[in-house]
Amino acid sequence: MKAKFEYLAPASLDEACGLLQEHQGDAKLLAGGTALVMWLRMGLLSPGFVIDLERVPGLDGIDYDPADGLRIGASVKHRDLELCPAVREHYPLLRETFYKVAQPRIRLMATVGGNLSHGDPMTDPGASFMALDAEVTLRSSRGERTLSVEDFFVDYYETALEPDEILTSVRVPPPAGPAWSHVKFTPRSEEDFATVGVAVTMTGEGNRCDDVRIALNSVGPSIFRAHAAEDVLRGRELTPARLEEAGAAAAEASDPIEDVRGSSDYKRELAAVFVRRAVEQAAARLG
Amino acid sequence: MKREMVLNVNGEEHDVEITPDRLLLEALREDVGLTGTKEGCSIGVCGACSVIVDGRLVSACLTLAVTCEGKKIETIEGLARDGELHPLQRSFVQYGGFQCGICTPGQIMAAKALLDHNPTPSADQVKEWMSANLCRCTGYYKILESVMAVVEGKVDEERRDEAVRQARIQSLYQSDTYKSGASD
Ligand SMILES: Cc1cc2nc3c(=O)[nH]c(=O)nc-3n(C[C@H](O)[C@H](O)[C@H](O)COP(=O)(O)OP(=O)(O)OC[C@H]3O[C@@H](n4cnc5c(N)ncnc54)[C@H](O)[C@@H]3O)c2cc1C
Ligand code: FES
Ligand code: FES
Repeated sequence: MKAKFEYLAPASLDEACGLLQEHQGDAKLLAGGTALVMWLRMGLLSPGFVIDLERVPGLDGIDYDPADGLRIGASVKHRDLELCPAVREHYPLLRETFYKVAQPRIRLMATVGGNLSHGDPMTDPGASFMALDAEVTLRSSRGERTLSVEDFFVDYYETALEPDEILTSVRVPPPAGPAWSHVKFTPRSEEDFATVGVAVTMTGEGNRCDDVRIALNSVGPSIFRAHAAEDVLRGRELTPARLEEAGAAAAEASDPIEDVRGSSDYKRELAAVFVRRAVEQAAARLG
Repeated sequence: MKREMVLNVNGEEHDVEITPDRLLLEALREDVGLTGTKEGCSIGVCGACSVIVDGRLVSACLTLAVTCEGKKIETIEGLARDGELHPLQRSFVQYGGFQCGICTPGQIMAAKALLDHNPTPSADQVKEWMSANLCRCTGYYKILESVMAVVEGKVDEERRDEAVRQARIQSLYQSDTYKSGASD
């Protein structure tokens, strides 16, 4: 981190947007710092300005309303989301996902907005937000826009955020039903990044799937929704053959890189296996 | 550009002059001169640099010191009062919660952060919480035992033959470095 930057701590969202616009391209936002500080340290980023969001009011808080669903402020820490009673009760998929991120100390530091904005395909929450059909709100001096989490993730460490935009909140629709599952395969150690991660939400009855959303992380340049796998299952009986087929379709859509967690062939095979298992687990929760 | 600022560490104000890229870990060890906080992995994994900022456990290696201005920072050096070790420190000594000791300040600060919020965690909660602090020596069991001894009020109980205990403590602490209170 030898390139020096100036530290700015705006006290309002408008001020933060103004600073980000003024220094566009040469500024990075700081939330929990668990990713940014490391990147600065390794020299992967060398901005002229670091804009701390901690003192910006209005970015915190988790609100739940049965009609509107859940609104999560960008500055909410992973740990606070995981422990929030409304999340535990109404969004067990989110509880489970955030509980599995890293370990308690990192979850005390890292924010929901920072996690998504980092655009790291290895991170877990994005897939679960996608499976829950969540939206993000992005704000800049030019105005505000909302887009689906699915459209937010673009490529390897690339999101839809423009250089002057701040992610302010995540909205999750009211829970559609009780069927969900989350699988995080971490063969090296429990608190590792996922070798493959799968999030599923499903509606249906008995063994019939009416609707399903499946999203994966760690097996592509971006977190993605496995549309083809969903199409295999939607409106159908969940037979073993269909589950196999859905797994294969998800694997087809994956594009994992080879790293310490395994070769890309290995991870592609895992994607098939864990999509099948995740769908089975979700189906077991159908009424 | 260096800037002057005040860091409140263990209730004492320290004037430091640092650049915004200074890590809290570096500021504590090199600017404030408190070397109890250790550096292990530098990437948030190992927990050796665990300190408490405004009541929250953090990795000092992932925290910029400038963000701590006006906040209360607690480090291992702040635990002993009037020459008396904190119950967690006594417990780690009595229950063999460390060997080489490099991870210990982090272990103890992590345990303190947990007990400050929840003085009566279950053994499973302690295990889950302490999973964020790696130790290459103890095999973890004795760390768990040390923390649980505090939870269960078993610190200072005569659980071993006194002579054996004394011999062990002496062999661990007879170096002059320890007596002067400094270590790094
Ligand atoms: C040891 C370790 C283990 C980990 N394990 C896991 C894991 O198992 N699963 C997992 O999912 N993640 C894991 N992570 C990654 C972690 O989740 C991210 O580092 C974290 O979520 C980033 O959040 P932050 O608040 O610290 O963001 P920062 O580091 O502050 O910021 C990250 C990026 O987002 C930008 N940014 C931050 N906030 C905003 C905003 N509101 N609007 C626009 N841009 C913004 C910053 O400019 C920066 O580019 C791990 C990290 C560590 C250090
Ligand atoms: S040195 Fe900070 S967590 Fe390892
Ligand atoms: S006592 Fe040596 S690493 Fe923990």
